[in-house]
Amino acid sequence: MRLLLILIAGLGVLVASPSSAFAKVNIFACEPEWAALAEEIGGDLVNIKSATNARQNVHHIRAKPSLLAGMRKADLVFCSGASLEIGWLPILIKKAGGPDVQPETIGWLMAADYVEKLDVMTEHVDRSMGHVHPEGNPHIHLDPRNVSIIADVLADRLTMIDRENTKAYQQNLAAFQNHWKSLMVTWEAGGRSLKGQKVVVYHNAWAYLLKWLGMDVIASLEPKPGIPPTASHLETVLKNVQGQKVTAILVAPFENEDAAEWLSGKSGIPVVHTPFTVGGNDKADSLTGLFEETIRLLKGGL
Amino acid sequence: MSKKLLLAASVAVIMNASPALAGDADLEALRGEIRAMQQAYESKINQLEQKVETLSAQQNKTAKRVAATEPAAGGSSIPATSERRINDNSFNPEIGVILQGQHQSFSADTSEFAGFAVGEEAERGSEGFGIDETELNFSANVDDLFRGSATVALVEEGGSTEVEIEEVYVETTSLPYGLQAKAGRFFSELGYLNSHHSHADDFADRPLPTRAFLNGNYNDDGVQVSAVLPTDIYSEIGGGVYRGDDFPGGGADGNDIGSWTAYGRVGGDIGDDTSWRLGLSTLQVEGGQRSANEDMVVFDGDSGLYIADARMVYAPTGNNAEQEIIFQGEYFHRDEDGTYDDMDAGTGAVAYDDNQSGWYAQSVYKFHPKWRVGARYSQLYAGDVPAGLAGSALDDSGHNPWGASAMVDWTNSEFSRARVQFNREELSDGNEDDQIILQYIMSLGAHGAHAY
Repeated sequence: MRLLLILIAGLGVLVASPSSAFAKVNIFACEPEWAALAEEIGGDLVNIKSATNARQNVHHIRAKPSLLAGMRKADLVFCSGASLEIGWLPILIKKAGGPDVQPETIGWLMAADYVEKLDVMTEHVDRSMGHVHPEGNPHIHLDPRNVSIIADVLADRLTMIDRENTKAYQQNLAAFQNHWKSLMVTWEAGGRSLKGQKVVVYHNAWAYLLKWLGMDVIASLEPKPGIPPTASHLETVLKNVQGQKVTAILVAPFENEDAAEWLSGKSGIPVVHTPFTVGGNDKADSLTGLFEETIRLLKGGL
Repeated sequence: MSKKLLLAASVAVIMNASPALAGDADLEALRGEIRAMQQAYESKINQLEQKVETLSAQQNKTAKRVAATEPAAGGSSIPATSERRINDNSFNPEIGVILQGQHQSFSADTSEFAGFAVGEEAERGSEGFGIDETELNFSANVDDLFRGSATVALVEEGGSTEVEIEEVYVETTSLPYGLQAKAGRFFSELGYLNSHHSHADDFADRPLPTRAFLNGNYNDDGVQVSAVLPTDIYSEIGGGVYRGDDFPGGGADGNDIGSWTAYGRVGGDIGDDTSWRLGLSTLQVEGGQRSANEDMVVFDGDSGLYIADARMVYAPTGNNAEQEIIFQGEYFHRDEDGTYDDMDAGTGAVAYDDNQSGWYAQSVYKFHPKWRVGARYSQLYAGDVPAGLAGSALDDSGHNPWGASAMVDWTNSEFSRARVQFNREELSDGNEDDQIILQYIMSLGAHGAHAY
């Protein structure tokens, strides 16, 4: 049975053809929003692999072969952090991540480490509370101020990894920040009418957006974070929303819309399919598009 | 021995190493290269030190900025620092407990594999209630380069509950070039199921070939090295050397390497919906003395196991949380050269040079975030027996053992699952065994992520 060994050796030769010299910075982005930001700051100087797309629930991703292949080449791992990727990122790092992308190195950028997190659990935490993140809500990208902070951090990291192109990264950053700040003024003005409005969410993934816009969550369709909606919980939610003016039921592209549709049918509150991240709908094809679309859709429910 | 040489040669080819026979000129060139590498590394280290300084300075800067950022709308009751408190026990290992319990009922009184001599964990479990495969795991990063893990399991063997070491190993976490090394006792990378703990399985029991050829799991004492290669599609090669004491090995005196493994696999995505993995692997036991069928059958000799495995996961848009279909199968081929002695049948040591094979195929359909159904079929083919073994455990009497399973499971969260499984097995001619297994699997505390 030498055949098998020869096959394995042959396979090795086929695939071991050395990759060309280090040229672009390879960025392994866990989520589409970070891939989009890397595109803004890195431009042509980086190769970006987005581990997930907008229609996938990032809590539940398999550590699949293509992700191992992506991690193998990564010079920078760029994720949300705060345990959002706990179910799959540790395996990829251990198995395929090099010494330069380990936790606490320059090649390890967890966005949630750099912003003020919401929903931090300071009291007793246990799993009867559902899929909780004691270190805080990891879905930080829907506050544009956070995106701006992370853009700075990213540019610094890219500069450290690829010093030769320092100038290009700083130029890209300056251009991005200028544009972004003017957009934020526009969005905040446009979103002023949303302040104080109430919404129902599927999962507590909108905390940063709603805080930024001054909106209030009055119920979640999930009985507990990460636990799919149940009939009895939905009845309770229905009782809660009756008699209140609720603008929208927010559902992300990867969330099951059955529960939201049921509640909408009973209560008359519109279901708003917000893009949640870049690629979540056709118009949300960039970070700018994501925020423009989100505000437009929210205002549609007024 | 020629196999070992061939392996060594393969490894050399794989690593694109310099030719095995180097002339003086080559040697000099090599020395030059090493010197150059040394210098390159020294300058790299200097650069890194610089980077670390800049990084910490920059992190301080950002932290200050964050603190200064005022929320634009809505009040905030969030504390200024969201860091977790560091307690004295913060360096304690992560502790995880897998609580497994089951109730099994069987229609047949006995269950013997026709034509195979098997280990204890290949046999069906004990009837009635049990807490088989309850596991206790401790793991932690040892330092920046190593991670350690120890898993002990409660297993039901011969009517008594025993504590068994499933895995105790250290592994590297941050080697360059996609390399990883592991040492200790661990589930070798071999086919698909072998490297997985049973609590992560999609069925309550393992398929027939995994039971017959690997006694459920091959976890020997040894060292394993793997490399994820820098290719666009996923590819990985690896192998290990072991004491050779675990089934299908046995009786190792430790004077020599008792067994070794090698594997290669590839994988990737087809669009957003589908991911796949294919692998080939082998486990070679040289000069082992394997006791089977409750120490009544002994195989003495060389045993080579070859496995081909395939797995494909389909989920609409790749969103596994809502729906997915998993297809998985493995084919086993075992080539044996030595003697079999069935003491029950009083055969004495009879020369045996033949092969056996087996396969299983299974599919699991998650049709709701909490519900899955699955089906599995497995089959074994025993070898031809020499006249001296007629009527012994190795004589399959013209019957190929088979088993069919159907299961439904309910997953409340990623930490709890309950399952009902129905098996029909005919391991020996005419001895049909209908089995019903009720099972729960729950996880307490730290629980590492599962591999693909």
